Amino acid sequence: MVDQLDPFEYEKIWRPVRKDFKIFQEVYPHHRQYDELVTQTELLAYLIRSYSVYEMTCGALGHPGGSFSEAEILAVMFNYVLKFDPTNPDWLQRDVLYLSKCHACPAFYAALALFGYFDLKDLKGYGSWDSFLESHPDSNTTPGIDIAGGSLGQIPGVAVGRALGIQRHGPDEGSRMVYVIIGDGECNEGSVWEAFMSAGHYRLDNLVFIIDNNKVQAKGFVAQDMSIEPLADKLAAFNVEPWETNNGHNVAELIDLFSTLHTQRRGKPNAIILNTIKGKDIGMCELNPNWHTSAPREVSMAQDWLMELWERDGRRLDVPEEFPRKLGEAISIVPPVHDNPDQIVEKQA
Amino acid sequence: MAQFTIPARDSTKEMRYQMGYALADLAGEYENIIALDGDLRSSSGLHIFEYFHPQKLIKVGIAEQNLISVSAGLSQEGFIPFPCTFDAFCRRFMDQLYVSVAYSNLNVKFLGAYVGLFTGKAGATHQSDKELGLLLRIPNLHVVEPGCNEEMRQVLRTAVETDGPFYIRIVRCEVEDDEIGAVYKFQLGKGVTVIDRGADIGLVSTGYMIKTAKLAAEKLAKMGIKVRLDHHPSLKPFDTEMLRDMASKVNAIITLENHCVSGGLFSLVAETLTRAGRQIPVGTIGTDPEDFIHTGHVNDLLARYNMTSEDVVAKAKEMLKVSKK
Repeated sequence: MVDQLDPFEYEKIWRPVRKDFKIFQEVYPHHRQYDELVTQTELLAYLIRSYSVYEMTCGALGHPGGSFSEAEILAVMFNYVLKFDPTNPDWLQRDVLYLSKCHACPAFYAALALFGYFDLKDLKGYGSWDSFLESHPDSNTTPGIDIAGGSLGQIPGVAVGRALGIQRHGPDEGSRMVYVIIGDGECNEGSVWEAFMSAGHYRLDNLVFIIDNNKVQAKGFVAQDMSIEPLADKLAAFNVEPWETNNGHNVAELIDLFSTLHTQRRGKPNAIILNTIKGKDIGMCELNPNWHTSAPREVSMAQDWLMELWERDGRRLDVPEEFPRKLGEAISIVPPVHDNPDQIVEKQA
Repeated sequence: MAQFTIPARDSTKEMRYQMGYALADLAGEYENIIALDGDLRSSSGLHIFEYFHPQKLIKVGIAEQNLISVSAGLSQEGFIPFPCTFDAFCRRFMDQLYVSVAYSNLNVKFLGAYVGLFTGKAGATHQSDKELGLLLRIPNLHVVEPGCNEEMRQVLRTAVETDGPFYIRIVRCEVEDDEIGAVYKFQLGKGVTVIDRGADIGLVSTGYMIKTAKLAAEKLAKMGIKVRLDHHPSLKPFDTEMLRDMASKVNAIITLENHCVSGGLFSLVAETLTRAGRQIPVGTIGTDPEDFIHTGHVNDLLARYNMTSEDVVAKAKEMLKVSKK
């Protein structure tokens, strides 16, 4: 039975907790479903990381650091918070989740695939010539992506416009929310602060900025390259209510925070500062700027990563060991479609 | 209630003010039109829009990047946003326009006020005569530069009724209400032949330079030189067919643009003709790509860059001499 495990039949390992993604329903610690929600969301984060490893290695590109640091928040958003409809990505009553740190899309693509926006096996094409999964997201080609991006600092402002637009639609769209995941390094961009300023000015309480405070930017530590601290104070000064997690990888803490945030519509935007670890759960990547960009160059390294993820999270979550092994065996680096008569060489990032 | 003086509709020929009226009119017709101001409304003409639709003007302050990003978000909720600031400041949001708006193919209609030389003596920082170099090479983006107020009104309507991103260059100076004729109807991607008296020289204009071209055509006519004048408000897409037709019928072409003579209309013409294998002399009227434009009265600026009808006449005579050799 176990030998038959197909690593893409994720339904045998994990299933979404909600029957209907169009409905948000609070789950509190005293609720019977709470433990299941927490476990299934942790499992989802584990799968997001695992499929991201598969995806990035097949594509010979990617941003593991930022993908791994956001695995839990993505899992919580899709499994618990967001109102959406994968069968109708443009459903007008949906919540909006923008990924502003667009380079971390491998994890986002994995989450979208796990919720049925497209086939999980399509992850293999990430960044390849014939694929609809761009190295940085393209809203024209990828279902579930709301805007194209890749140049940092733009989408927080887009989120402001979106939230403003929803507000102008009036009371019937009062419960629709806009979430935007921003990198901590991305906050170096002045346009992010233009967005904070205008969100505070327009009192957009249907907007939540989520800052993945993973401490590392592309080439160094945020605190050393260009510090953004004291971030919570700065946000508060911009009339944005700051919420800080002790640990942005603690799924239960995130679930509880969103259960609370749901009640915090006080005429100002909210911001969540997620204390996370860049490269979380792969030892060599953790807090290491060298793994901001770059997928494993060797399939064997990716297979080691998958086993490490299993040792850290998969095992305790009762994932069969066959899963990471089979997924690792399924990895092959996708070659270019065309020959190159001039033998121009460009090494993998 | 208005904070700023609202020029009466019939009292002004300035395109910026007529733009304010035209957009206000359209917003009465299309409920989802919304305008966004980067703190320049009484200069750009948006204050007129605000006077009629105070609830439909969103102020983002002096924040050009956010001006475009917020517009992008609003367009995703079904609004038709018209962000507006000085055209020169597109240099500050080019990436937002490129990525968030054009790449995503969003329904945002940017209004660039104070294009080219005419900034009311604001100087090099405020003059936008280089920007078409990139704007005309952004996929999905439509770029239009109307030459008279009636055409501007039609361009705005077209932008509302055509899905996708638009970049509309609005000149600050006074222009005629109609330069082309009552029958004319602006069409995206189409030029219009304004004068066709035969085959000596072709003038190709865009934007307000249609006026200069028409004045020059009259002067040339008096000298017995036959002019065909094609006006191209639609720069992207560009009416290459009309240009090729002109090139097959005239001895030389002069391009007239309120922009430098590289990257804009001249480049479109040169690229089109070269690609079509047409060898024909093409002269230019426009500013110098190597210059930061100085502050100056418009008369001095036009004199400095040889952009008056007299300069067009002189150039036409010179080119016909060369082409007839």
